[in-house]
Amino acid sequence: MADRPRVSEPDHDRRSGDVGPAADERKSAAVRHAIRSELAVDAPKDDAHAAKRASETSIVELQHVSLAFDVPIIEDISLITREGETMAIVGESGTGKSTILKLVLRLLVPDRGRVLIEGEDITPLSFEEALAVRQKMGMVFQGAALFDSMSVFENVAYPLREHTDMNDDEIEQRVREKLQFVDLDPDRVIDQFPAELSGGMRKRVGIARGMANNPRIMLYDEPTSGLDPLTTGTITRLIMKLQRELGVTSLVVSHDIRAVFRMASKVALLHDRRITFFGTPEEMAGSEDQYIQDFLGGFTT
Amino acid sequence: MPAFLTRLNDAAKSKILTLQEYFVLAGKALRFIVARPFYGQDVVQQMDEIGVKSLGIVLLTGLFTGMVLALQSSVQLKTFGASMYIGNLVSASMIRELGPVLAGLMVAGRVGSGIAAQLGSMRVTEQIDALNTLGTDPIKKLVTPRLLAALIMLPVLTIINDFVGIIGGNIIASLVVGLPSAQYWRTVWVQIASDGFALRYIPNDFIQGLTKPIVFGGLIAITACYFGLGTTGGTEGVGQSTTRTVVTSSILILIVDYFITQLLLSVLTYG
Repeated sequence: MADRPRVSEPDHDRRSGDVGPAADERKSAAVRHAIRSELAVDAPKDDAHAAKRASETSIVELQHVSLAFDVPIIEDISLITREGETMAIVGESGTGKSTILKLVLRLLVPDRGRVLIEGEDITPLSFEEALAVRQKMGMVFQGAALFDSMSVFENVAYPLREHTDMNDDEIEQRVREKLQFVDLDPDRVIDQFPAELSGGMRKRVGIARGMANNPRIMLYDEPTSGLDPLTTGTITRLIMKLQRELGVTSLVVSHDIRAVFRMASKVALLHDRRITFFGTPEEMAGSEDQYIQDFLGGFTT
Repeated sequence: MPAFLTRLNDAAKSKILTLQEYFVLAGKALRFIVARPFYGQDVVQQMDEIGVKSLGIVLLTGLFTGMVLALQSSVQLKTFGASMYIGNLVSASMIRELGPVLAGLMVAGRVGSGIAAQLGSMRVTEQIDALNTLGTDPIKKLVTPRLLAALIMLPVLTIINDFVGIIGGNIIASLVVGLPSAQYWRTVWVQIASDGFALRYIPNDFIQGLTKPIVFGGLIAITACYFGLGTTGGTEGVGQSTTRTVVTSSILILIVDYFITQLLLSVLTYG
């Protein structure tokens, strides 16, 4: 009998910003370091390095990943996202951007290379183990992928009912809190069905469902595609708010370069099955590479 | 190797792979019946969907099948002066063959297509991926409840179908042939008893008539889920999956019916 994988419920509210076990560790390391400098103690160099490494923990990492079905989809891709970063993967349609998200979620397994989540190699995991790893991540699908047989409430409550011991009151409180976070009026939408919502609202419910379990990592597949400019702005702000207030690490797949430049701290350009650029938006805008300039289409920060 | 042989090889491989996937899905879905977490609510909902909502068509199918059986056999039996045996003929045909097969075909059309369309659209709108992402095994959440509900509800529907069919025969026997109801029901029972008993008390006809719908229920649920979950190519793909489900499960029902009959006739001692 397979045990139901469970996510431990954090006691504290992550809204206050820089909290959580990793952050605590980081803080205490920083404090130790500060005390040592204050007392003019010779801090061993290793310790300083350790503190530095802790603040740069890789959260999502791809190492030389290749994948082919009948034809090669992606080849030798290496990416690294550190804690609290928002990384955008951009590229033309059909270049395998969404494939990268599926690899991170282990919905697909690479032919070669490794995928690491919080330092753990998820490539050799069994199907059941992969289900547990996926709970660290919240995914927002392109079309929101809300369960259309369930109400908004049931959709957002789904991961909580599946993987936590929360009672009905706690679940309702959490659902309301998440809906408020994505700027939806819980009383108005909670009993509605996905078919009754507009595209932008559906996407926001999708974000609420993705973050219901308080995951440390959020993945977005084309979060702004098919939305009008105003709603695009709202969703972009929402993703930034999530990063800012909850400190989550985000991976955004998009071809909306304007939105990407607003929210991303790192940009990876996927072209011809490979990463041809990886750096900050400013570096990208300043690049003299002809393809990059064509891709940006004159758009600069 | 010549090109056509390579193509033949590839085609054969893909067929065998399909068959393998089908059985893997069936195996997993069956195994999850006894594995946590249980989705009891989904099972009840599917029992309602598969069983209760199919009641109308099954009642109509059974009634008219029984009536037409009685009508046809009355013509045939009259030439031998054996009209009083209508009950034997109707009950044997309904319980052994027509009840299970017709209930199966009706459910394949009504429920199989519904399951394939629902899972197919969940697939193309990424809801299946969403389930996976939220840490739920789609087979456990979607396939197992449908399989379990079909395994339970198809025998129930078949019993109702048989019973209503025999009543339909009764109506025609008394209205058209003028056979008294008491006489009709006596011949129905005589027929069931004359086919022998397994384990002394269970009529062989009942064993045959209830083994089949259990197998058909499994066939319909797994076929529909297999095509539904394997849907590709957007809304058009959903249509194709639906059609394939109805065609494949109907044909499978007829083929498997023959083999179950063959097997049971050799296992059970008749007469």
